[in-house]
Amino acid sequence: MNELNINIEKGTSLTQDAFIRLRKNKMAMIGLCILIFFIAIALLTPLIAPYTYEGQNLELGATSPSQQHWLGTDVLGRDQLTRIMYGSRVSLMVGFIATAVALLIGVLWGATAGFLGGRVDAIMMRIVDALYALPFTIFIILLTVIFGSSMLLLFLAIGAVEWLTMARIVRGQVLTIKRQEFVEAAITMGLSPWQIITRHLIPNVLGPIIVYTTLTIPSVILLESFLSFLGLGIQPPQSSWGSLISGGTETMEEYPWLLVFPGLALSLTLFSLNFLGDGLRDALDPRASKD
Amino acid sequence: MYLFILKRILQSIPVLLGVSLLTFIMVRSAPGGPFDQDRNVPPEVIKHLNEHYHLNDPLWKQYLDYLWSLLHGDFGPSFKFQSHTVNDLIAAGFPPTMELAFYATLFALIFGLIAGITASLKPNSLQDYVPMSTAMIGICMPSFVLGPLLLLIFGIWLQWLPVAGWGQIDGDKILPSVTLGAAYAAYIARISRGGMLEILSQDYIRTARAKGLSTARIVFVHALRGGITPVISFLGPAIAGLLAGSFVVETIFQIPGLGRFYVQAAFNRDYTMIMGCTIFFAFLIVIFNLLADVLLVLLNPKLRQEVSGGR
Repeated sequence: MNELNINIEKGTSLTQDAFIRLRKNKMAMIGLCILIFFIAIALLTPLIAPYTYEGQNLELGATSPSQQHWLGTDVLGRDQLTRIMYGSRVSLMVGFIATAVALLIGVLWGATAGFLGGRVDAIMMRIVDALYALPFTIFIILLTVIFGSSMLLLFLAIGAVEWLTMARIVRGQVLTIKRQEFVEAAITMGLSPWQIITRHLIPNVLGPIIVYTTLTIPSVILLESFLSFLGLGIQPPQSSWGSLISGGTETMEEYPWLLVFPGLALSLTLFSLNFLGDGLRDALDPRASKD
Repeated sequence: MYLFILKRILQSIPVLLGVSLLTFIMVRSAPGGPFDQDRNVPPEVIKHLNEHYHLNDPLWKQYLDYLWSLLHGDFGPSFKFQSHTVNDLIAAGFPPTMELAFYATLFALIFGLIAGITASLKPNSLQDYVPMSTAMIGICMPSFVLGPLLLLIFGIWLQWLPVAGWGQIDGDKILPSVTLGAAYAAYIARISRGGMLEILSQDYIRTARAKGLSTARIVFVHALRGGITPVISFLGPAIAGLLAGSFVVETIFQIPGLGRFYVQAAFNRDYTMIMGCTIFFAFLIVIFNLLADVLLVLLNPKLRQEVSGGR
């Protein structure tokens, strides 16, 4: 009761309110911590990696975790910890950049369709519906087969797939707020549709956009690892979590740690991003939460 | 109702045309012809091969020819295995893939619904947290991590289940189906929990409780029908994910299915096979989306009225 009074006296903005709610969510905070840990590792890898990712030591071969090699070495004597660290750079970079691509296309597409409405909206959303029906994973495989698997292509291809849901969410939100008075005021003042969309509509749907972005990153990371696992993504000697897991699967009978550690790194990252996304959803949009 | 189905079928035709055109353009814009990597082939032979497969015709004519043979159910010859047609390969690979997808869906539905309904009956209790946390692990652990781990534990260390194959040894279908279905079981658990919670808070459920009906009767007769509609609308798109997941699972467990053929075709640059499979997959996805939509309308009286009201 006391706490409530203090809140009323100070007055909290909606953002502060959301932040307080997020901080109370233990799983989301654990997720955030794990995520920051992985991002820090990914950024610092070139400085703190104990070995080089392609440095082989054929005499050593595969060894189980030891003092020199905390997570063991692979068949070619390469340090597993170093390779997982370099893998985190690939996975997180793909996750963030491809999500940014998806974000840009999806938000602009959805906001434009929702704001203009009418026939433009119908056509734009019909295109989204049609694209939804396409087998996209298969198309990405097709793209990597045809044009080779470059990093840039992976970013673009994955980003181009993931924008659809974003467009739908943003459109729905814009439809509900565009009837409100401040938008009408902006129209009366003679602002161009572009100005209204970028300055008034998008800032007001930021909540759902942030939530969905956090939930898109893990699915993008998953897609990259999936391709690398099949051997169609990141090519050796570079390492990505997917290719490490794929390598670990081949030798798991003799050297299970080569499968377990990269698998653990990937699962932990997905785990933390999902929990953070769920927490953000509960904090930013209490109506949409599950409980 | 029939009109609705007819309309949905007509709507999927442009999608399928789009898929075939896009695939055709992508495959044809690939650098190098399909016979380029065969070394020591004299130019005359390549010329002859190109003529045999009509690769010298203008592109639009090739596309129309391809479309025409597709309409006759002919996917053309495989460029890699020249004694086989793509039809042969699809016919050989489709049954295991479909069977795998079926068992995986069955597993996902049974475990997902049990977990979701159990959790929804006592929200924010242990009965809720345990299944939902398990579901979160299922979502976060990708099939290509879960599969090898299950293989390692149950196949190699405990030796309870066979490690590879499909339909040769008893029990060799269990691990692949569980691997593929786990993530979907988790999603279904979450979705059905949400759906059930919403329905259970409705007035007519309170009325049913007030009438003194047993919990079992309320859940299975009154709530379930509305509570699982979100699950059904999830199932249609999930099939697309299941098919993509079969690529990984079939590779891990060495199942001779369509997904494995597709990945092999991707490595071999077997263009007709890639093209045929892509279009075949798209066709499957369109059909399953259609089925899910029809089922949704059948189960939901409100939608049913809307559909027949449009007549």
